[in-house]
Amino acid sequence: MHEFNWGLLIVVYLFLGGLSAGLFFAAGLANYLTVDDKPVYARVARMGALLAPWPVAIGSGLLILDLGNWYRFYKLFLHFRWQSPMSIGSWLLTVFTLIAFLYLFAWLKEDERKWIFSKIPATWKQVHRLNVDISSWREKIAMVGFPFSIGVGIYTGVLLGAVSARPFWNTNLVAQMFLFSALSSGAAALLLAMILDRKNPIEKHETKFLVTLDVVFISLELFIILPYIIHGQLSSQAVKDALTLILGGPYTVVFWVFFLFLGLLVPLAIEVYELFPSIFKGREFHGSRNMALTAAGLVLFGGFLLRYIFVYAGQMSSFHRMGMLQ
Amino acid sequence: MAIKKKRYALVIDSRKCINCKACVVACKAENKVPVGNFRNRINEERKGEYPKLSINFEPEQCHHCTDPSCVRVCPTGASWQRKDGIVLVNYDECIGCRYCMIACPYDARYFNEEEGVVDKCTFCSHRVDKGDIPACVETCPSKVRVFGDLEDPTNRIHELLSTRRYRVKEPQTGNGPQLYYLL
Repeated sequence: MHEFNWGLLIVVYLFLGGLSAGLFFAAGLANYLTVDDKPVYARVARMGALLAPWPVAIGSGLLILDLGNWYRFYKLFLHFRWQSPMSIGSWLLTVFTLIAFLYLFAWLKEDERKWIFSKIPATWKQVHRLNVDISSWREKIAMVGFPFSIGVGIYTGVLLGAVSARPFWNTNLVAQMFLFSALSSGAAALLLAMILDRKNPIEKHETKFLVTLDVVFISLELFIILPYIIHGQLSSQAVKDALTLILGGPYTVVFWVFFLFLGLLVPLAIEVYELFPSIFKGREFHGSRNMALTAAGLVLFGGFLLRYIFVYAGQMSSFHRMGMLQ
Repeated sequence: MAIKKKRYALVIDSRKCINCKACVVACKAENKVPVGNFRNRINEERKGEYPKLSINFEPEQCHHCTDPSCVRVCPTGASWQRKDGIVLVNYDECIGCRYCMIACPYDARYFNEEEGVVDKCTFCSHRVDKGDIPACVETCPSKVRVFGDLEDPTNRIHELLSTRRYRVKEPQTGNGPQLYYLL
Protein backbone atom coordinates (compact mmCIF):
# COMPACT_ATOMS: atom_id res chain seq x y z
CA MET A 1 0.00 0.00 0.00
CA HIS A 2 1.27 3.39 -0.95
CA GLU A 3 1.86 5.78 1.92
CA PHE A 4 2.45 9.49 2.14
CA ASN A 5 6.14 9.92 2.82
CA TRP A 6 5.89 13.68 3.07
CA GLY A 7 3.19 15.10 5.27
CA LEU A 8 1.92 18.30 6.80
CA LEU A 9 5.32 19.44 8.10
CA ILE A 10 6.62 19.55 4.54
CA VAL A 11 3.51 21.43 3.40
CA VAL A 12 4.01 24.01 6.15
CA TYR A 13 7.70 24.30 5.37
CA LEU A 14 7.12 24.82 1.63
CA PHE A 15 4.57 27.49 2.49
CA LEU A 16 6.79 29.28 5.01
CA GLY A 17 9.85 29.16 2.76
CA GLY A 18 7.86 30.70 -0.06
CA LEU A 19 6.35 33.25 2.31
CA SER A 20 9.79 34.48 3.36
CA ALA A 21 10.92 34.68 -0.24
CA GLY A 22 7.85 36.74 -1.09
CA LEU A 23 8.24 39.00 1.94
CA PHE A 24 11.86 39.69 1.14
CA PHE A 25 11.09 40.33 -2.51
CA ALA A 26 8.31 42.80 -1.71
CA ALA A 27 10.40 44.50 0.99
CA GLY A 28 13.38 44.79 -1.33
CA LEU A 29 11.24 46.15 -4.12
CA ALA A 30 9.67 48.70 -1.78
CA ASN A 31 13.15 49.83 -0.87
CA TYR A 32 13.91 50.55 -4.50
CA LEU A 33 10.82 52.59 -5.36
CA THR A 34 11.96 56.11 -4.68
CA VAL A 35 10.83 59.64 -5.41
CA ASP A 36 13.63 62.23 -5.27
CA ASP A 37 15.93 59.53 -3.88
CA LYS A 38 13.67 58.95 -0.92
CA PRO A 39 11.90 55.60 -0.69
CA VAL A 40 8.14 56.18 -0.83
CA TYR A 41 7.44 52.83 0.72
CA ALA A 42 10.09 52.84 3.42
CA ARG A 43 7.62 51.62 6.02
CA VAL A 44 6.60 48.73 3.80
CA ALA A 45 10.26 47.88 3.27
CA ARG A 46 10.91 47.97 7.00
CA MET A 47 7.93 45.80 7.90
CA GLY A 48 8.92 43.31 5.22
CA ALA A 49 12.51 43.27 6.37
CA LEU A 50 11.46 42.67 9.97
CA LEU A 51 9.17 39.79 9.01
CA ALA A 52 11.06 38.10 6.18
CA PRO A 53 13.59 35.88 7.98
CA TRP A 54 11.22 34.34 10.51
CA PRO A 55 8.97 32.10 8.42
CA VAL A 56 11.91 30.50 6.63
CA ALA A 57 13.78 30.05 9.91
CA ILE A 58 10.77 28.32 11.47
CA GLY A 59 10.19 26.35 8.27
CA SER A 60 13.77 25.09 8.20
CA GLY A 61 13.37 23.99 11.80
CA LEU A 62 10.27 22.01 10.87
CA LEU A 63 12.11 20.51 7.94
CA ILE A 64 14.85 19.27 10.21
CA LEU A 65 12.28 17.83 12.64
CA ASP A 66 10.70 15.91 9.77
CA LEU A 67 13.92 14.01 9.08
CA GLY A 68 14.22 10.41 10.24
CA ASN A 69 17.41 11.38 12.06
CA TRP A 70 17.07 15.08 12.73
CA TYR A 71 20.49 15.41 14.38
CA ARG A 72 22.10 14.31 11.14
CA PHE A 73 20.89 17.40 9.30
CA TYR A 74 24.45 18.77 9.34
CA LYS A 75 25.30 16.10 6.78
CA LEU A 76 23.38 18.20 4.25
CA PHE A 77 26.20 20.71 4.52
CA LEU A 78 29.04 18.24 4.29
CA HIS A 79 28.03 17.45 0.73
CA PHE A 80 27.11 19.42 -2.31
CA ARG A 81 25.29 17.37 -4.90
CA TRP A 82 24.30 19.50 -7.84
CA GLN A 83 21.92 16.88 -9.20
CA SER A 84 19.87 16.83 -6.01
CA PRO A 85 17.38 19.69 -5.72
CA MET A 86 17.32 19.17 -1.97
CA SER A 87 21.07 19.62 -1.69
CA ILE A 88 21.02 22.82 -3.75
CA GLY A 89 17.97 23.95 -1.83
CA SER A 90 19.46 23.52 1.61
CA TRP A 91 22.45 25.67 0.66
CA LEU A 92 20.20 28.24 -0.99
CA LEU A 93 17.94 28.33 2.04
CA THR A 94 20.85 28.88 4.41
CA VAL A 95 22.36 31.72 2.39
CA PHE A 96 18.95 33.32 1.94
CA THR A 97 18.13 33.11 5.64
CA LEU A 98 21.44 34.78 6.50
CA ILE A 99 20.83 37.56 3.97
CA ALA A 100 17.28 38.04 5.28
CA PHE A 101 18.56 38.39 8.84
CA LEU A 102 21.21 40.82 7.67
CA TYR A 103 18.53 42.83 5.91
CA LEU A 104 16.46 42.83 9.10
CA PHE A 105 19.48 44.10 11.00
CA ALA A 106 19.98 46.88 8.45
CA TRP A 107 16.42 48.05 9.01
CA LEU A 108 16.55 48.14 12.81
CA LYS A 109 16.27 51.57 14.38
CA GLU A 110 19.17 52.65 16.49
CA ASP A 111 17.37 52.25 19.80
CA GLU A 112 16.16 48.78 18.80
CA ARG A 113 19.68 47.76 17.89
CA LYS A 114 21.02 49.09 21.18
CA TRP A 115 18.27 47.33 23.09
CA ILE A 116 19.18 43.99 21.52
CA PHE A 117 22.86 44.44 22.28
CA SER A 118 22.08 45.50 25.85
CA LYS A 119 20.77 41.96 26.39
CA ILE A 120 24.09 40.45 25.40
CA PRO A 121 26.63 40.10 28.23
CA ALA A 122 29.19 42.88 28.11
CA THR A 123 32.03 40.37 28.30
CA TRP A 124 31.18 39.03 24.84
CA LYS A 125 33.29 41.72 23.24
CA GLN A 126 33.50 40.14 19.81
CA VAL A 127 29.72 40.10 19.59
CA HIS A 128 29.48 43.73 20.60
CA ARG A 129 31.73 44.69 17.74
CA LEU A 130 28.82 43.78 15.49
CA ASN A 131 26.82 46.65 16.95
CA VAL A 132 27.24 48.89 13.92
CA ASP A 133 24.86 50.90 11.81
CA ILE A 134 24.52 49.25 8.40
CA SER A 135 21.41 51.11 7.27
CA SER A 136 23.35 52.48 4.30
CA TRP A 137 23.72 48.89 3.02
CA ARG A 138 19.99 48.34 2.64
CA GLU A 139 19.94 48.72 -1.11
CA LYS A 140 22.98 46.53 -1.59
CA ILE A 141 21.62 43.78 0.64
CA ALA A 142 18.27 43.93 -1.13
CA MET A 143 19.96 43.63 -4.52
CA VAL A 144 22.10 40.68 -3.45
CA GLY A 145 19.05 39.13 -1.80
CA PHE A 146 16.73 39.35 -4.82
CA PRO A 147 18.17 36.39 -6.73
CA PHE A 148 18.29 34.35 -3.54
CA SER A 149 14.69 35.13 -2.66
CA ILE A 150 13.60 34.21 -6.17
CA GLY A 151 15.78 31.12 -5.85
CA VAL A 152 14.11 30.03 -2.61
CA GLY A 153 10.66 30.75 -4.02
CA ILE A 154 11.27 28.71 -7.14
CA TYR A 155 13.26 25.97 -5.42
CA THR A 156 10.25 24.80 -3.42
CA GLY A 157 8.61 24.05 -6.76
CA VAL A 158 11.73 22.54 -8.31
CA LEU A 159 12.01 20.17 -5.35
CA LEU A 160 8.73 18.62 -6.46
CA GLY A 161 8.96 19.25 -10.20
CA ALA A 162 12.32 17.52 -10.58
CA VAL A 163 10.92 14.16 -9.50
CA SER A 164 10.44 12.25 -12.73
CA ALA A 165 8.53 9.46 -11.00
CA ARG A 166 5.57 11.67 -10.07
CA PRO A 167 3.71 12.84 -13.18
CA PHE A 168 1.56 15.28 -11.20
CA TRP A 169 4.70 17.27 -10.35
CA ASN A 170 6.97 16.54 -13.23
CA THR A 171 6.04 19.40 -15.51
CA ASN A 172 8.06 22.52 -16.08
CA LEU A 173 5.27 24.74 -14.75
CA VAL A 174 5.19 23.72 -11.10
CA ALA A 175 8.31 25.72 -10.24
CA GLN A 176 6.88 28.97 -11.64
CA MET A 177 3.52 28.28 -10.05
CA PHE A 178 5.16 27.97 -6.64
CA LEU A 179 7.30 31.06 -7.24
CA PHE A 180 4.38 33.33 -8.12
CA SER A 181 2.31 31.89 -5.32
CA ALA A 182 5.21 32.61 -2.95
CA LEU A 183 5.56 36.21 -4.16
CA SER A 184 1.82 36.72 -3.88
CA SER A 185 1.74 35.26 -0.35
CA GLY A 186 4.58 37.58 0.61
CA ALA A 187 2.76 40.68 -0.63
CA ALA A 188 -0.43 39.53 1.10
CA ALA A 189 1.33 38.80 4.39
CA LEU A 190 2.94 42.22 4.27
CA LEU A 191 -0.43 43.85 3.64
CA LEU A 192 -1.95 41.88 6.50
CA ALA A 193 0.85 42.85 8.88
CA MET A 194 0.71 46.52 7.89
CA ILE A 195 -3.05 46.64 8.44
CA LEU A 196 -2.90 44.84 11.77
CA ASP A 197 -0.15 47.10 13.07
CA ARG A 198 -2.37 49.65 14.78
CA LYS A 199 0.47 51.75 16.14
CA ASN A 200 1.52 52.80 12.66
CA PRO A 201 -1.69 52.86 10.62
CA ILE A 202 -1.15 51.90 7.01
CA GLU A 203 -1.40 54.74 4.52
CA LYS A 204 -3.45 54.61 1.36
CA HIS A 205 -0.57 54.69 -1.05
CA GLU A 206 1.02 51.77 0.79
CA THR A 207 -2.16 49.70 0.60
CA LYS A 208 -2.41 50.52 -3.07
CA PHE A 209 1.18 49.46 -3.68
CA LEU A 210 0.77 46.10 -1.97
CA VAL A 211 -2.64 45.43 -3.51
CA THR A 212 -1.28 46.22 -6.97
CA LEU A 213 1.72 43.98 -6.39
CA ASP A 214 -0.57 41.17 -5.30
CA VAL A 215 -2.84 41.57 -8.33
CA VAL A 216 0.18 41.20 -10.59
CA PHE A 217 1.43 38.09 -8.81
CA ILE A 218 -2.00 36.45 -8.60
CA SER A 219 -2.52 37.07 -12.31
CA LEU A 220 0.85 35.51 -13.10
CA GLU A 221 0.01 32.54 -10.90
CA LEU A 222 -3.39 32.12 -12.52
CA PHE A 223 -1.86 32.05 -15.97
CA ILE A 224 0.55 29.35 -14.89
CA ILE A 225 -2.18 27.20 -13.36
CA LEU A 226 -4.41 27.29 -16.43
CA PRO A 227 -1.62 26.18 -18.81
CA TYR A 228 -0.60 23.55 -16.24
CA ILE A 229 -4.04 21.96 -16.53
CA ILE A 230 -4.30 22.42 -20.30
CA HIS A 231 -0.79 21.09 -20.97
CA GLY A 232 -1.43 18.20 -18.64
CA GLN A 233 -4.56 17.26 -20.52
CA LEU A 234 -2.60 17.32 -23.78
CA SER A 235 0.37 15.47 -22.33
CA SER A 236 1.18 11.77 -22.03
CA GLN A 237 -1.31 9.39 -20.46
CA ALA A 238 0.49 9.31 -17.12
CA VAL A 239 0.20 13.08 -16.69
CA LYS A 240 -3.40 12.99 -17.81
CA ASP A 241 -4.12 10.25 -15.28
CA ALA A 242 -2.35 12.24 -12.59
CA LEU A 243 -4.53 15.25 -13.30
CA THR A 244 -7.65 13.22 -12.56
CA LEU A 245 -6.64 13.73 -8.92
CA ILE A 246 -7.91 17.31 -9.27
CA LEU A 247 -10.35 16.65 -12.09
CA GLY A 248 -12.80 14.34 -10.40
CA GLY A 249 -10.41 12.68 -7.97
CA PRO A 250 -10.02 13.20 -4.20
CA TYR A 251 -8.52 16.70 -4.49
CA THR A 252 -11.08 18.16 -6.89
CA VAL A 253 -13.11 20.14 -4.38
CA VAL A 254 -10.16 21.45 -2.43
CA PHE A 255 -8.46 22.51 -5.66
CA TRP A 256 -11.33 24.16 -7.51
CA VAL A 257 -13.48 25.49 -4.69
CA PHE A 258 -11.07 26.24 -1.87
CA PHE A 259 -7.84 26.97 -3.69
CA LEU A 260 -8.74 28.33 -7.11
CA PHE A 261 -12.00 30.06 -6.23
CA LEU A 262 -11.60 31.13 -2.60
CA GLY A 263 -7.84 31.38 -2.48
CA LEU A 264 -7.19 32.98 -5.85
CA LEU A 265 -10.20 34.33 -7.77
CA VAL A 266 -12.04 35.88 -4.83
CA PRO A 267 -9.02 37.85 -3.54
CA LEU A 268 -8.19 38.82 -7.11
CA ALA A 269 -11.74 40.08 -7.58
CA ILE A 270 -11.62 42.01 -4.30
CA GLU A 271 -8.31 43.62 -5.17
CA VAL A 272 -9.38 44.53 -8.69
CA TYR A 273 -12.61 45.94 -7.29
CA GLU A 274 -10.56 48.09 -4.92
CA LEU A 275 -8.18 49.32 -7.59
CA PHE A 276 -10.69 49.77 -10.40
CA PRO A 277 -12.15 53.21 -9.52
CA SER A 278 -8.74 54.74 -8.88
CA ILE A 279 -7.25 53.43 -12.12
CA PHE A 280 -10.08 53.71 -14.62
CA LYS A 281 -12.28 56.47 -13.21
CA GLY A 282 -9.60 58.71 -11.81
CA ARG A 283 -11.08 58.63 -8.33
CA GLU A 284 -9.08 58.48 -5.17
CA PHE A 285 -8.05 55.06 -3.88
CA HIS A 286 -10.09 54.28 -0.80
CA GLY A 287 -8.48 51.14 0.44
CA SER A 288 -11.15 49.54 2.60
CA ARG A 289 -9.48 47.93 5.59
CA ASN A 290 -11.85 44.98 5.75
CA MET A 291 -11.63 44.27 2.04
CA ALA A 292 -7.84 44.27 2.16
CA LEU A 293 -7.83 42.07 5.26
CA THR A 294 -10.14 39.55 3.62
CA ALA A 295 -8.17 39.49 0.39
CA ALA A 296 -4.82 39.10 2.13
CA GLY A 297 -6.14 36.37 4.41
CA LEU A 298 -7.60 34.46 1.49
CA VAL A 299 -4.37 34.72 -0.50
CA LEU A 300 -2.41 33.19 2.38
CA PHE A 301 -5.05 30.49 2.76
CA GLY A 302 -4.81 29.75 -0.96
CA GLY A 303 -1.01 29.70 -0.90
CA PHE A 304 -1.07 27.11 1.86
CA LEU A 305 -3.67 25.00 0.07
CA LEU A 306 -1.68 25.01 -3.16
CA ARG A 307 1.22 23.39 -1.34
CA TYR A 308 -1.10 21.03 0.48
CA ILE A 309 -2.71 19.85 -2.75
CA PHE A 310 0.57 19.46 -4.58
CA VAL A 311 2.44 17.64 -1.83
CA TYR A 312 -0.33 15.11 -1.25
CA ALA A 313 -1.74 14.66 -4.76
CA GLY A 314 1.76 14.47 -6.22
CA GLN A 315 2.70 11.59 -3.98
CA MET A 316 -0.41 9.71 -5.06
CA SER A 317 0.43 10.08 -8.72
CA SER A 318 2.70 7.51 -10.28
CA PHE A 319 3.48 5.77 -13.52
CA HIS A 320 2.67 2.19 -12.72
CA ARG A 321 -0.53 2.58 -10.80
CA MET A 322 -2.36 5.52 -9.40
CA GLY A 323 -1.14 5.00 -5.87
CA MET A 324 -4.00 4.77 -3.44
CA LEU A 325 -6.65 5.33 -6.06
CA GLN A 326 -6.92 1.61 -6.66
CA MET B 1 43.77 -12.20 -13.98
CA ALA B 2 41.91 -9.20 -15.31
CA ILE B 3 39.06 -7.98 -13.16
CA LYS B 4 35.94 -8.39 -15.20
CA LYS B 5 33.22 -5.75 -15.22
CA LYS B 6 29.96 -6.93 -13.71
CA ARG B 7 26.36 -5.85 -14.10
CA TYR B 8 23.87 -7.73 -12.00
CA ALA B 9 20.29 -8.10 -13.14
CA LEU B 10 17.25 -10.23 -12.40
CA VAL B 11 15.12 -12.03 -14.93
CA ILE B 12 11.59 -12.83 -13.81
CA ASP B 13 9.40 -15.39 -15.51
CA SER B 14 6.22 -14.20 -13.89
CA ARG B 15 4.02 -16.82 -15.56
CA LYS B 16 5.63 -19.39 -13.32
CA CYS B 17 4.78 -17.42 -10.18
CA ILE B 18 2.20 -19.06 -7.95
CA ASN B 19 2.07 -16.27 -5.35
CA CYS B 20 3.42 -18.49 -2.57
CA LYS B 21 5.37 -15.51 -1.18
CA ALA B 22 8.37 -17.67 -0.25
CA CYS B 23 10.58 -14.93 -1.74
CA VAL B 24 9.01 -12.33 0.55
CA VAL B 25 9.54 -14.52 3.61
CA ALA B 26 13.07 -15.49 2.61
CA CYS B 27 13.98 -11.85 2.14
CA LYS B 28 12.56 -10.82 5.48
CA ALA B 29 14.44 -13.62 7.25
CA GLU B 30 17.70 -13.06 5.40
CA ASN B 31 17.78 -9.28 5.79
CA LYS B 32 15.97 -8.95 9.12
CA VAL B 33 13.41 -6.61 7.59
CA PRO B 34 11.27 -4.96 10.32
CA VAL B 35 7.68 -6.03 10.85
CA GLY B 36 5.36 -4.21 8.48
CA ASN B 37 8.08 -3.46 5.91
CA PHE B 38 8.96 -5.45 2.82
CA ARG B 39 11.81 -5.33 0.36
CA ASN B 40 9.96 -7.31 -2.27
CA ARG B 41 6.34 -7.96 -3.05
CA ILE B 42 4.11 -9.83 -5.46
CA ASN B 43 1.72 -7.66 -7.45
CA GLU B 44 -1.58 -9.31 -8.13
CA GLU B 45 -3.67 -8.45 -11.12
CA ARG B 46 -7.10 -9.95 -11.58
CA LYS B 47 -9.10 -9.63 -14.74
CA GLY B 48 -12.61 -10.61 -15.74
CA GLU B 49 -15.22 -12.71 -13.96
CA TYR B 50 -15.77 -16.42 -13.71
CA PRO B 51 -15.62 -18.28 -16.05
CA LYS B 52 -13.72 -15.76 -18.17
CA LEU B 53 -11.08 -15.05 -15.61
CA SER B 54 -7.36 -14.52 -15.48
CA ILE B 55 -4.92 -13.69 -12.75
CA ASN B 56 -1.37 -12.55 -13.04
CA PHE B 57 1.27 -12.55 -10.32
CA GLU B 58 4.25 -10.32 -10.77
CA PRO B 59 7.06 -10.23 -8.23
CA GLU B 60 8.67 -6.83 -7.84
CA GLN B 61 11.48 -5.22 -5.84
CA CYS B 62 14.16 -2.62 -6.44
CA HIS B 63 14.96 -2.57 -10.15
CA HIS B 64 18.60 -1.58 -9.55
CA CYS B 65 18.28 0.88 -12.42
CA THR B 66 21.20 1.96 -14.57
CA ASP B 67 20.32 5.61 -13.99
CA PRO B 68 18.55 5.50 -10.62
CA SER B 69 16.53 8.62 -9.75
CA CYS B 70 16.80 7.78 -6.04
CA VAL B 71 20.57 8.17 -6.20
CA ARG B 72 20.27 11.39 -8.19
CA VAL B 73 17.98 13.17 -5.71
CA CYS B 74 19.76 12.08 -2.52
CA PRO B 75 21.12 15.24 -0.88
CA THR B 76 23.88 13.53 1.09
CA GLY B 77 25.00 10.76 -1.25
CA ALA B 78 23.67 8.11 1.14
CA SER B 79 21.89 6.44 -1.78
CA TRP B 80 24.60 5.17 -4.04
CA GLN B 81 25.30 2.67 -6.76
CA ARG B 82 28.06 0.10 -6.91
CA LYS B 83 30.01 -0.43 -10.10
CA ASP B 84 28.18 -3.72 -10.59
CA GLY B 85 24.87 -1.83 -10.63
CA ILE B 86 23.58 -2.68 -7.17
CA VAL B 87 21.88 0.34 -5.60
CA LEU B 88 22.46 0.60 -1.87
CA VAL B 89 21.84 2.93 1.06
CA ASN B 90 24.71 3.98 3.28
CA TYR B 91 22.83 4.00 6.58
CA ASP B 92 25.35 6.24 8.33
CA GLU B 93 24.88 9.00 5.79
CA CYS B 94 21.08 8.75 5.48
CA ILE B 95 19.30 11.63 7.20
CA GLY B 96 15.85 10.15 6.60
CA CYS B 97 14.43 12.86 4.34
CA ARG B 98 12.63 10.23 2.23
CA TYR B 99 13.20 12.14 -1.01
CA CYS B 100 14.47 8.91 -2.61
CA MET B 101 11.24 7.11 -1.70
CA ILE B 102 9.29 9.80 -3.50
CA ALA B 103 11.67 9.75 -6.47
CA CYS B 104 11.45 5.96 -6.96
CA PRO B 105 8.95 5.21 -9.74
CA TYR B 106 8.54 1.65 -8.44
CA ASP B 107 7.87 2.45 -4.77
CA ALA B 108 10.60 -0.04 -3.96
CA ARG B 109 11.91 1.64 -0.81
CA TYR B 110 10.63 1.69 2.73
CA PHE B 111 11.28 3.83 5.77
CA ASN B 112 12.76 2.05 8.77
CA GLU B 113 10.97 3.93 11.56
CA GLU B 114 13.18 2.55 14.28
CA GLU B 115 16.49 3.54 12.70
CA GLY B 116 15.10 6.64 10.99
CA VAL B 117 16.68 5.67 7.70
CA VAL B 118 15.47 4.48 4.32
CA ASP B 119 16.08 0.89 3.35
CA LYS B 120 15.60 -1.31 0.31
CA CYS B 121 16.49 -4.48 -1.56
CA THR B 122 20.26 -4.93 -1.76
CA PHE B 123 20.17 -7.84 -4.22
CA CYS B 124 21.56 -9.58 -1.12
CA SER B 125 24.93 -8.00 -1.89
CA HIS B 126 26.44 -9.74 1.14
CA ARG B 127 25.61 -13.11 -0.45
CA VAL B 128 26.37 -12.08 -4.01
CA ASP B 129 29.86 -10.93 -3.01
CA LYS B 130 30.55 -14.43 -1.71
CA GLY B 131 29.42 -15.94 -4.99
CA ASP B 132 25.93 -16.91 -3.79
CA ILE B 133 22.63 -15.83 -5.26
CA PRO B 134 20.05 -13.61 -3.51
CA ALA B 135 17.81 -15.30 -0.95
CA CYS B 136 14.62 -14.67 -2.92
CA VAL B 137 16.14 -16.35 -5.99
CA GLU B 138 17.45 -19.32 -4.05
CA THR B 139 14.18 -20.02 -2.29
CA CYS B 140 11.74 -19.68 -5.20
CA PRO B 141 10.12 -23.12 -5.60
CA SER B 142 8.83 -22.57 -9.13
CA LYS B 143 12.09 -21.04 -10.41
CA VAL B 144 10.55 -17.73 -11.38
CA ARG B 145 13.71 -15.79 -10.71
CA VAL B 146 17.06 -16.00 -12.48
CA PHE B 147 19.82 -13.82 -11.10
CA GLY B 148 23.00 -13.18 -13.00
CA ASP B 149 25.65 -10.99 -14.51
CA LEU B 150 24.73 -9.30 -17.79
CA GLU B 151 28.40 -8.83 -18.66
CA ASP B 152 29.06 -12.56 -18.54
CA PRO B 153 28.03 -14.17 -21.90
CA THR B 154 28.01 -17.64 -20.40
CA ASN B 155 25.45 -16.68 -17.80
CA ARG B 156 21.94 -18.14 -17.96
CA ILE B 157 20.28 -14.71 -18.02
CA HIS B 158 22.19 -13.93 -21.18
CA GLU B 159 20.60 -16.92 -22.86
CA LEU B 160 17.14 -16.02 -21.57
CA LEU B 161 17.32 -12.40 -22.67
CA SER B 162 18.65 -13.38 -26.12
CA THR B 163 16.09 -16.05 -26.84
CA ARG B 164 12.96 -14.91 -25.05
CA ARG B 165 10.80 -11.84 -25.40
CA TYR B 166 10.73 -9.63 -22.33
CA ARG B 167 9.70 -6.25 -21.03
CA VAL B 168 10.86 -3.86 -18.35
CA LYS B 169 8.47 -1.80 -16.26
CA GLU B 170 7.96 1.90 -16.92
CA PRO B 171 10.96 2.47 -19.20
CA GLN B 172 9.56 5.94 -19.91
CA THR B 173 10.85 7.20 -16.57
CA GLY B 174 14.35 6.94 -18.01
CA ASN B 175 15.69 5.05 -15.01
CA GLY B 176 16.85 2.02 -17.00
CA PRO B 177 15.32 -0.70 -14.79
CA GLN B 178 17.17 -4.01 -14.55
CA LEU B 179 14.32 -6.34 -13.66
CA TYR B 180 13.46 -8.17 -16.86
CA TYR B 181 10.01 -9.72 -17.09
CA LEU B 182 9.77 -12.57 -19.60
CA LEU B 183 6.66 -12.58 -21.72
